[in-house]
Amino acid sequence: MPPDALASRPPCRPRLTSAWLCLPLALGVLALALDHLLAGPGLGAGFAALLRASLPAETAETLVLHYAWWPRLAMALLAGGGLALAGVLMQQVLRNPLAAPTTLGVASGANLALMAASLMAPGLLGLGREWVALAGGGLAMGLVFALAWRRGLAPVVVVLGGLVVNLYFGALSMVLLLFHQEALKGLLIWGAGSLNQNGWQDVAFLAPRLAVGALLAWLLLRPLAVLALDEAGARSLGVSLKHLRLAGLGLAVFLTGCVVSAVGIVGFIGLAAPNIVRLAGARRLGARLAWSTLLGALLLAATDLALQRVSGHLPTLIPTGATTAALGAPLLLWLIPRLRLGGATPPREARALGHRHPAPGRLAGGLAIALVGVGAVAVLAGQGPDGWQWAAPTDWGVLQWRAPRALAAAGCGVMLALAGTLIQRLTANPMASPEVLGISGGSAIALMGAIFLLPAPGNLTLVAAGTLGALASLAVLVGLNRKSGFQPERLLLTGVAITALFEAVKGVVQAGGDPRGQQVIAWLSGSTYYVDPISAVMVAGAALLLVLVAAPLARWLDILPLGGATAAALGLPLARARLALLLMVALLTAGATLVVGPLSFVGLLAPHMARLLGFARARAHLLGAALTGALLMVLADALGRQLLFPEEIPAGLVASLLGGAYFMWGLRRL
Amino acid sequence: MPRPRRALTWLAGLMAALVAAATPADAPRLATLDWTLAETLVALDAPPAAVAQVEAYHAWVGEPALPSSTVDLGLRSQPNLELLASLAPKRILISPMFANLAPRLAHIAPVTSLPLYSPGRDTWSEMRELTRSLGEMVERPVAATRLIADTEARLDALQGRLDDEALPLLVVQFMDGRHVRVFGENGLYQAVLDRLGLENAWTGSTNAWGFSLVGIEALAGLDARLVVVKPYPAGVRERLNAGGLWGHLVEASRGSPIVLPPIWSFGALPSAERFAEQLVNAMEPDDAA
Repeated sequence: MPPDALASRPPCRPRLTSAWLCLPLALGVLALALDHLLAGPGLGAGFAALLRASLPAETAETLVLHYAWWPRLAMALLAGGGLALAGVLMQQVLRNPLAAPTTLGVASGANLALMAASLMAPGLLGLGREWVALAGGGLAMGLVFALAWRRGLAPVVVVLGGLVVNLYFGALSMVLLLFHQEALKGLLIWGAGSLNQNGWQDVAFLAPRLAVGALLAWLLLRPLAVLALDEAGARSLGVSLKHLRLAGLGLAVFLTGCVVSAVGIVGFIGLAAPNIVRLAGARRLGARLAWSTLLGALLLAATDLALQRVSGHLPTLIPTGATTAALGAPLLLWLIPRLRLGGATPPREARALGHRHPAPGRLAGGLAIALVGVGAVAVLAGQGPDGWQWAAPTDWGVLQWRAPRALAAAGCGVMLALAGTLIQRLTANPMASPEVLGISGGSAIALMGAIFLLPAPGNLTLVAAGTLGALASLAVLVGLNRKSGFQPERLLLTGVAITALFEAVKGVVQAGGDPRGQQVIAWLSGSTYYVDPISAVMVAGAALLLVLVAAPLARWLDILPLGGATAAALGLPLARARLALLLMVALLTAGATLVVGPLSFVGLLAPHMARLLGFARARAHLLGAALTGALLMVLADALGRQLLFPEEIPAGLVASLLGGAYFMWGLRRL
Repeated sequence: MPRPRRALTWLAGLMAALVAAATPADAPRLATLDWTLAETLVALDAPPAAVAQVEAYHAWVGEPALPSSTVDLGLRSQPNLELLASLAPKRILISPMFANLAPRLAHIAPVTSLPLYSPGRDTWSEMRELTRSLGEMVERPVAATRLIADTEARLDALQGRLDDEALPLLVVQFMDGRHVRVFGENGLYQAVLDRLGLENAWTGSTNAWGFSLVGIEALAGLDARLVVVKPYPAGVRERLNAGGLWGHLVEASRGSPIVLPPIWSFGALPSAERFAEQLVNAMEPDDAA
């Protein structure tokens, strides 16, 4: 133990060390495992089944032990260890305590690659699932780095970039799922991370690869430890930083890809284990690598054994990977206040972003005319049974299907854009958006619960459930961030945790293969489909009302991006202003999410585009973003209805696909 | 999954629909979102004018095939309302799964929701009821009675071909190399097995659609002959052939596994008859050669 670690603490206080953490977990795993064997054929026969040495007549019980139970235990240990090892490497290389296989988008990239391969080139899967998964994961992580490159791979930006990539790839998978639910049902199980085994093949696949990975990590130990110093310090020691980083990250992606291709997406082990070990006092890289790997292995094995005990009698499978993610979300919420993120530095507002238009009023007028024009085309032109045709403006028989949807789309666009503008100015972070706060995610969790737990719920019930979910997320956000005075980074990370919980619940729901899953997917993908004339008018009215409420907040928004200290010096009631804005964001997001689902990128995109167009001051920015948002959503809705006619792509997904792509491209230039 | 020329098939369907509209058909024009209702209507010789996801119907339900005149309504969960309205169907048929769409659909035409696989009800008698209600709706009650009688007679005949002491069966469908759906209580296959006097080795709990998603290890220790309903997902057959638990389950099971072509596992009488037919053909002793 390094002497400085000892000196920093009063000697009388009992310390929680890694060993004291791993011991009870190891005992727990042992107890659960022994209990399982004792309940079965007894200890002797149980261990004999592992080796399958002295069993002349195989009973079904020993068969299962040898071919399913023991490999599953081995797989849990291996996968947990591998993910934790990858997590430590990522965190060390990026000097970012929140880097992990799931937060960097590697897992969702692998998932999407496998989905695409099984639909378009099933032959590739025969060649090797792991290579498809590796390619997808590598691509996703590359994208995250590209997003965060200009901000010097700052921890929070990397994690937010990962979130954006996760959301984007999630939207793409959702489109594939929507159209090919039957063909992809197997991949849904994989995507939720199941550890069930059919023999020792997968263990035999994973073990040597992880061993090689661990060996390489050990070889890289000394050079990697240098990375803990700051950039200049490391360079002065004569280490080629670029090559070292590349080697470390490449190794981490390789480890993740191997684990993910064997068992699917297992959430949070890679994030949690290294952080817990660090909090327990492991300082040196070698110690962190060793203890994290052990802790990760034990965590996953313990979760899996406990889950097997509980879920044995349910008619559906509860995948372990989604369970760890669900358990990990509260853990992340607990971890966030304890991590050192360097959040004290003043936010670097991208001042260079866009010029200031000399006459924002005229620009807004132009946008409004464009909105009316696009709206008119969206409502009047469309495909019918006789191909493309124009509807007369008086033809209510046709317009009754299109007009409410265009109106609702515009209303949602306005609300999301306002929410996005507020949150981006509030956090002085151009990557922030209402999706990131997790309010959409909370609302979606409640919707899924309603669809599955209530018999044939009507739309009104679903709306009520969604609102409750949004409010619950908001309560979590406010409750956890009140102490820190709604500090922007913490706020966003809370959102990341809620979104992760949403992903986990979604995974469990979809893996079960229940035909109602299709309905869940339809709801989640966010469509104006369910809007009737009355609700369309209500959505549009709510949007207008909230615009009026938001306008007086413009002064706060001009000051807040200058940083907390400056704002306080200018006499702004900091905590109260942040809380009020936050409430406003929640209301706006909940309203829009109920119609277009949790996945749209409009809240991220519209404020950004408005800035690029030249809306600089807060009031003009709000107006410009609202118009841009409405324009985007109306366009997305119209495109979604016509592209694959008669099948409809939900507006939320079209907006995410268009907006997300544009956003990633634009951010690279930023 | 293949993606054939959607536009072409759709155009063909459109033209046929126009022709059909010109000559008034004897049965009322119906639209349905549910494939199970669609297959029953086809079997009643009163095919629906419009069905959701026609292409996927042919991939997963297969037979009886929809006529080429059937208009594709788009996704089952979100059928194209504008298109549906322009077709002006007399009635729209759904299953309770789509209940949340009913208020919207009701603006276009009267909506009827027909349940099947309701928990706690005898599946076979519910299937009969479903067929009769559909028969009345398309004004072909005689055809419905005949479909029921024919299917039951066919199943009785098939039962006669079976050995008296036929083994219990275990019906599964692979989801990936490690997980299967195993079919049991409250599902189509169970209903057919009951009528054929066959025993289902899976007595565990099932969900509302009559299956349970389990790891392969859950099948161990069940003394039964294995029945695998295709399709195998990509790459799964190779993995299964590589040995492991499945290979030993096959060894320990009674006789070689029966592999059946894809059959819609949530279907009604037509799917039931297909399943029975394929199953009994595969079980006949000379088939093993």
